[in-house]
Amino acid sequence: MHTLRHDTKAWKAQVWISMKTSIVVVSFALALTGPVRAHGPSSDASAVSMLPVAVSVAAPVMLLSAGATLTVLSVGAAAEGTVWVLERASDGARASITLSGQVAGGASVAVGTVVVCTAFSAGWVLSAAGKAIAYIPNQIGQALLYNERVTW
Amino acid sequence: MVKAVFTAVALAAALTAAQAGRPCEQQAPEASNVLRSMELAARTQTRLDASGAQVVVLARAGQNLSAYGLRWSHLGWAYRLPGEGNAWRVVHKLNHCGTASAALYRQGLGEFFLDDLYQYEAALVVPTPELQAQLLPLLLDNQRLAQLHTPDYSMVAYPWAQRYQQSNQWAIETLALAMEPGATSRARVQAWLQFKGYQPSTLRIGALTRLGARMTAANVAFDDHPSDKRYSDRIETVTVDSVFSWLGRSGLGGSVQLVR
Repeated sequence: MHTLRHDTKAWKAQVWISMKTSIVVVSFALALTGPVRAHGPSSDASAVSMLPVAVSVAAPVMLLSAGATLTVLSVGAAAEGTVWVLERASDGARASITLSGQVAGGASVAVGTVVVCTAFSAGWVLSAAGKAIAYIPNQIGQALLYNERVTW
Repeated sequence: MVKAVFTAVALAAALTAAQAGRPCEQQAPEASNVLRSMELAARTQTRLDASGAQVVVLARAGQNLSAYGLRWSHLGWAYRLPGEGNAWRVVHKLNHCGTASAALYRQGLGEFFLDDLYQYEAALVVPTPELQAQLLPLLLDNQRLAQLHTPDYSMVAYPWAQRYQQSNQWAIETLALAMEPGATSRARVQAWLQFKGYQPSTLRIGALTRLGARMTAANVAFDDHPSDKRYSDRIETVTVDSVFSWLGRSGLGGSVQLVR
């Protein structure tokens, strides 16, 4: 099972703001060229192999703020990976998050799961009951991620 | 006897978890650990950028090894990607989920530290400019990186044998390859390391612990150690602490810098 497919060289981050809808769309396009992926069970870097990483996020401004409490509305499959739709209970604002590859922890994230969003210097961490279920890197975080197996 | 066996198994478990040999835990990490790991990675990048170095030895503290007098558990070669500003990569050897084999990986600083650390601190040593210049092209070349890699893994591999190879051992053997390109076998780079005064750590590991570890952990083996040392409980292996000490002593590297 592999959850990380990063080629930082190929990260193409595009951020745009739609003024009409107050929606911030952050799209990290991944070019999956070459053997740049983590195959598991792979290493003692077990934490990262178990941590799904967001490749694209579409969310209203400020939805991904520190301490936001969201509920999982749906878990679906897409060409790029797994898509979660999350909703903020207080006002119904929604976020769509695409996670790369197969989501190792995805099976445990069921519809109705309550998710807390924590913002920090390298992005956001989504957690359920204290366990990290996804990492959304910002630009600082993207520069810190890369995974390539050199020998087989 | 039951207690003794339990102790041996517990120590074996600690040994198993030490260095780069974790069992595959199919559970999500603590959110707070992810934050702390990524923040440590970011702080380390800032420190690396400020160092002016192209290549550094980078260590993490994945386990509490204080019982063995050790501070750090695992090291890798971090290098600045040529022509890409301040992006850094770490090349290191990782054990596969507590099995008896390992492989080489090139990772980001994030992945290097996202590993359920014991202490959210890092250590680095900047090699001499000459050593950096010798290492950098090698670190970019997967074939040369793999030249001395032995997949068979024991976390307490004997430094002067070739049956197994642990992570830190691969790193210094590869250093030797960079400095002495003519030394193209593990035996020859080990001779170079001895000539240059590298001294491994000696771990005091008793017979019962050895037995427990061997029975319960696929990534711990003692059969490559000389009998006289093994049966007097002296297990020599390549540790981060011994590598740091040697780099300073030999003039191949500077002093140990902490990233907190």
